[in-house]
Amino acid sequence: MIALLFVLALQLKVPDAEQFVGPPKGVPITDVAVLDRRTHEVGALLRCPVCQGLSIADSPAEMAVNMRGQVRELLARGYTQEQILGYFERSYGQFVLLKPKFNGLAAAVWILPLLAVAIGLVVVVSKAKKLEARVVPPSNDDPYLARVRELVDKE
Amino acid sequence: MNRTVLIIGLLIVAAIVAILFMGLGKDPAHIESPLIGRPAPGFALKAVGSGETIDLTRYRGKPVVLNFWATWCRPCWDEHPVLTANAQMLGSQVQFLGVVFQDEESKIRSFLEQRGWAYPTLVDQAGKTAIAYGVGGVPETYFLDRNGNIVAKFAGPMSAEDIQSNLQKAMK
Amino acid sequence: MTAALGRYLILASVLVATSGAFVGFAAGQKRSPEGAKWARRFAYAFAALMVLATLVMEYALITHDFSVQYVTQVGSTQVPMWVTIVSLWSSLEGSILFWGFILGVYIAGATWLTSGKHEDYMPFAIGTWLGCGAFFSFLIAGPANPFVSVPNPPLDGPGPNPLLQNHALMIIHPPMLYLGYVGMTIPFGLAMAALLRKRLGHSFLRPLRAALLLPWVFLTIAIMLGGWWAYEVLGWGGYWAWDPVENASLLPWLTATAALHSAIVMERRGILKGWTITLVQASFLLTILGTFMTRSGVFNSVHSFTQSSIGPTILVFLATTLIASVVLLAMRIDSLESEGNIESAASREGMFLVNNLIFVVLTFTVLVGTCFPLIVEAMKGKQMSVGRPYFDAMAVPMGAALLFLIGVGPALPWGRTTKRDLLRALLPPVGTGLLVVAIGGILGVRNAWTLVTLFFGGYAVHVTLAQMWLPLVQRMKRGGSFGEALIDGQLRRGRRRFGSYIVHAGATIVLVAIAVSSTQRTSQELVLTRGQTVNAAGYAITFNGIEDRAEPHRQSTIAHFSVAKNGKPVTTMDPRMNQYATMREPIGTPAVHSTLVSDLYISIMNIGLDKQSAGIVVINTPMVSWIWIAVLLMGLGGLVALIPSRRAVYAVQPQSDAAPSLGTAQS
Repeated sequence: MIALLFVLALQLKVPDAEQFVGPPKGVPITDVAVLDRRTHEVGALLRCPVCQGLSIADSPAEMAVNMRGQVRELLARGYTQEQILGYFERSYGQFVLLKPKFNGLAAAVWILPLLAVAIGLVVVVSKAKKLEARVVPPSNDDPYLARVRELVDKE
Repeated sequence: MNRTVLIIGLLIVAAIVAILFMGLGKDPAHIESPLIGRPAPGFALKAVGSGETIDLTRYRGKPVVLNFWATWCRPCWDEHPVLTANAQMLGSQVQFLGVVFQDEESKIRSFLEQRGWAYPTLVDQAGKTAIAYGVGGVPETYFLDRNGNIVAKFAGPMSAEDIQSNLQKAMK
Repeated sequence: MTAALGRYLILASVLVATSGAFVGFAAGQKRSPEGAKWARRFAYAFAALMVLATLVMEYALITHDFSVQYVTQVGSTQVPMWVTIVSLWSSLEGSILFWGFILGVYIAGATWLTSGKHEDYMPFAIGTWLGCGAFFSFLIAGPANPFVSVPNPPLDGPGPNPLLQNHALMIIHPPMLYLGYVGMTIPFGLAMAALLRKRLGHSFLRPLRAALLLPWVFLTIAIMLGGWWAYEVLGWGGYWAWDPVENASLLPWLTATAALHSAIVMERRGILKGWTITLVQASFLLTILGTFMTRSGVFNSVHSFTQSSIGPTILVFLATTLIASVVLLAMRIDSLESEGNIESAASREGMFLVNNLIFVVLTFTVLVGTCFPLIVEAMKGKQMSVGRPYFDAMAVPMGAALLFLIGVGPALPWGRTTKRDLLRALLPPVGTGLLVVAIGGILGVRNAWTLVTLFFGGYAVHVTLAQMWLPLVQRMKRGGSFGEALIDGQLRRGRRRFGSYIVHAGATIVLVAIAVSSTQRTSQELVLTRGQTVNAAGYAITFNGIEDRAEPHRQSTIAHFSVAKNGKPVTTMDPRMNQYATMREPIGTPAVHSTLVSDLYISIMNIGLDKQSAGIVVINTPMVSWIWIAVLLMGLGGLVALIPSRRAVYAVQPQSDAAPSLGTAQS
């Protein structure tokens, strides 16, 4: 009976990453602590397809647990992060990548904030210069008021 | 009238309103499958009951309805009679297959015995087949054409119409 | 009967609000005191109607009156009374009614407080407020009507969403959030009034600032409560996932904070009036955007209410108010401009400008990131995600920059200074910064950004404490005791300044705590069998067994753990999985043991079939409790700054040109 099951098990075939992203390009991870950490890191980049917005590293859903297990196994076999992400992207689409890729339209999401900072800096600096250059007409106050203003400004 | 403020302001308004407007009417929970049009990932899994190993390639030449489900999934209970009825109706023209993951064989057996066992149900290994297909949750169903390519994916419990309309695509 | 009464009250409120809006704008245009009085009456009437309608709904909920449609959606005789009361805001229609209620109360309060004052502006403000009130009443009357009559009332109902019954924080988070969100309508009305009046006088700055600060306090606390709730309830051990609805609550907070800062420059130098008005407008408009995001079904979120037809209606309102705000701003912004200037950019004024830059860029980034998937889907038909890794990558440098400013900003003097004074102001806190980094390093911090945050944090704490300390010292030097200096000098007269430094102190701690809790967190997945003890996160955790407990509205499976440290028992922890009758998947509740140093967090992943083993996640998060406490501190600081003090009395000694001692501060 056991032998039969053994034989049967040998014939079982599940889809494997190798079919889709080729052989592992990296170094197999054997240290359990490192493997845990890397699984968590890569898991944090993959979106749980069931829950809204959570990564598979954080999600308690069945599917997420399975996916975590798959990530862990692939890391242990030496697949690189890029390959693993590519494998999941192949089945689930770009939707599953929590960190937008840096090509195509998605690159805009990375560039726009930097553009905003640049434009903002230009605007702020030019506004500051304009304000600095402005000459406020001197008011004809008596010295008491002038002194008060001075003191208030120093606070 | 400060033209700079007006132009920049109205551009921002237009952009925001346009983006939000386009989002309306779309269901954010509906995810397109990237595998449509591509060959279905192959597998050979153990069938519940008979225990035999069934390879997907066995059904090349026939359209296949591949349904991922589990006994703990309530909507799957609603869908099951529809699938069973269609399987019986379509007979040998179309092959129905069920794949269960994260479940127990004894539970699957009693479920099928109680509710109808019209086609083979296979047991996945650690959800790997589901992952390869991009299954997010259950139930999800993939429609394969005669050449083994995925032509459609349906997420959620299907009605008879859903099965029929997707099968049209598989039969072409 | 009850439903009909509710409907009539709401219809009346639509009429009253619409008429009141017209009256307000007409009274403002004609500068009519009689018209202004009528506008106020309409404001009070609107508030009264909204309050009554809400009371009617609460009555229907409490008496389980299933002839009212909303009660059939969220009511249940099986749930505890507090859940029934709270279910007013648990589902879409009731939550809009709640919005209207809070809006009514705010409008009444603001009208009463400004009664007889600022007569140039107030009718316009009331007109704007009632215009918004009219929209929300219309929503309640039409698309989101909770008062629909049910012809054959059922005997019982499903109760509110079980996720909302899991924790007491559900009682306070939504009201706080609404108090913050809805409150942004008030300063918006004042801002629009200033634009319509083509003037933003110095005396109007005070009510504008106060109107902005009060909802800011509520919103700050509400955002924290949301994060705390997610942490305590959702089970993944985090408090912020950059979920679209979370982002929606953050966006107006960012612009409101920026506005509070630019208002200070506006008050001092008379500049940035148009810009401050823009930020105030943005804060309100972002709340409308936020409510659209939550209720339209466009965004994929944990918080989303079910999809409904309300989305397009809100979008129309959003578009209208956006266009009105932009057009009015463009028309009037040049009339607001004054002749103020700044003396030097390397001054506190300059730092305020940088502060605004960072807040605005952060707002833009969060908005773009949240909406980006929509853009891509519309343009390419493909779905993509913009998730936590993106937002964290953007927010971390900006948060560090803000922390830098909290330190450097208040350290710099106003106006022009000499290079020597500049160095004298900026160098001493460096020592404290380095000290804090050293402490962090000793305690095991290795992450670069966290170390940078620790440095800026130490720097900022030094500066903030020094700024709080200096006036005390000066007061004491002139012959007061410490208590006198504190109570009279700071708390009675210097509230605005003192309060703002309390906020800064809180914000510094929050930023540092977020950095530390995110990077120093450890997480382990373990499987324990009954009686087994494991060492995790510095504790000895023993699994004592599983208990099944049946409650009227749910079935719970509880895993009991004893936790010990260094041999001494510390606490018991009991995470659970709850199965509610109305949900198909069980919802887990984690167990959290909080100390000031760190939190121990246990969440159930799965329970062995024989109930003799449990798969759990054990998470150790340092300093996370500091986040909740420090945000409360921020809220407290805001409240301190909010309470009006007596008008400034300046005592300048004509003879001595020595110590610039002003006995009191500004109001």
